Amino acid sequence: MYRDTKRMARISATLALPCFLMVAGSAFAHSESGVTGGLVSGLLHPVLGFDHLVAMVAVGLWGAQLEKPAIWLLPITFPMVMAVGALVGLAGLPMPGVEYGIAASAIVLGAAVASNFKPPLALAAIVVAAFGVFHGHAHGSEIPQAANPLAYGVGFVLSTGLLHLSGILIGVLLKWPWGSFVVRACGVVVAGVGAIALATTTGFLA
Amino acid sequence: MKKLLLVIPGLVIAGPAAAHSVSARFGEIYSGMLHPVTTLVHLVPWIAIGLLAGCLGPKEARRALVGFPASVAAGALVAPMLPELPWVSFVNMCSFIALGGLVVVSRGISSTLFWTCLVVFGVSHGYANNDALLVGWGLARYVLGLTIAAYVVITLVSAVSTQLLGGQGWGRVAIRAVGSWIVAIGVVFSGYTLMAL
Repeated sequence: MYRDTKRMARISATLALPCFLMVAGSAFAHSESGVTGGLVSGLLHPVLGFDHLVAMVAVGLWGAQLEKPAIWLLPITFPMVMAVGALVGLAGLPMPGVEYGIAASAIVLGAAVASNFKPPLALAAIVVAAFGVFHGHAHGSEIPQAANPLAYGVGFVLSTGLLHLSGILIGVLLKWPWGSFVVRACGVVVAGVGAIALATTTGFLA
Repeated sequence: MKKLLLVIPGLVIAGPAAAHSVSARFGEIYSGMLHPVTTLVHLVPWIAIGLLAGCLGPKEARRALVGFPASVAAGALVAPMLPELPWVSFVNMCSFIALGGLVVVSRGISSTLFWTCLVVFGVSHGYANNDALLVGWGLARYVLGLTIAAYVVITLVSAVSTQLLGGQGWGRVAIRAVGSWIVAIGVVFSGYTLMAL
């Protein structure tokens, strides 16, 4: 009887081992390394920060409201200036108030979309470019140590561009009379998210 | 039982099937084809050249289908005869910003400027793709693979670019936006590389 129990226990242990091996997840001992890690990390970085995300969509929305040539000039200006900000971040140079700048970008761009504000093209480009430096600095200074810098750059530029495109596509609604209301409502949401981000950064919201 | 005992040694001593031509002396061709398309340093500027070729119209794009692969092949073939040229990687870094910038402008680019960029950057990328360990037929097969990759990339991208420009007005906007992304990637990459020196 004792021998049977011992034998059963041994068989159970032998059967349990492959089961554990089959259900075991990957170890994730190395995070965000190499080209793949850099690309994934770069793609996710602008999306995971909600204030980043809404501000990028707002650039596209504002471009759509301002129509040609702003619809292509703003999304073209932004990545190029953002890259300069990213370089400053990569170099490790501090930029005071980066988080305030990002939150402010969502508030200002959201308010511009909500109020259907149509400034001269040069002014719109300067506003977008100025905020681009803050967003770029945040991306550049948070590059993972082991990630491939080129892949990370490709990732965050691509992600930012696609978020602009999302804004432009939402802006297609402007063709319909009720669409203008929807786009302006999106502006209110963007500004609201920016205000929450600013309140969190300043410590008003825990 | 005896049959089973006979099967086991047969399985143990069985060698690889070599069914895929990569293990039958075609490896260098695959290596040459994969090297540029799996390396962002080469792939991104090649996409820019394809976009630019499309922007200049179907006539220039058709010429570029021959000109660009030939320039890349020339660079890769000349590389073993030259000493190591460290500044070529700097030229390749500049190719991101120069080609991306031209895609952003996209209109009114002279044919001479386009062909100068195509030949210079084609040769520099071909040089950088060279595999120093290969000689003779091995090198020839590698360069053949590299040339095929250059042809495939420029054909596909210039076809998309030409198609986009021939359609709705947003086609040029899309191409210009991609150009600005290439410039931005180039600025980040060049800056990071120069800072690491």
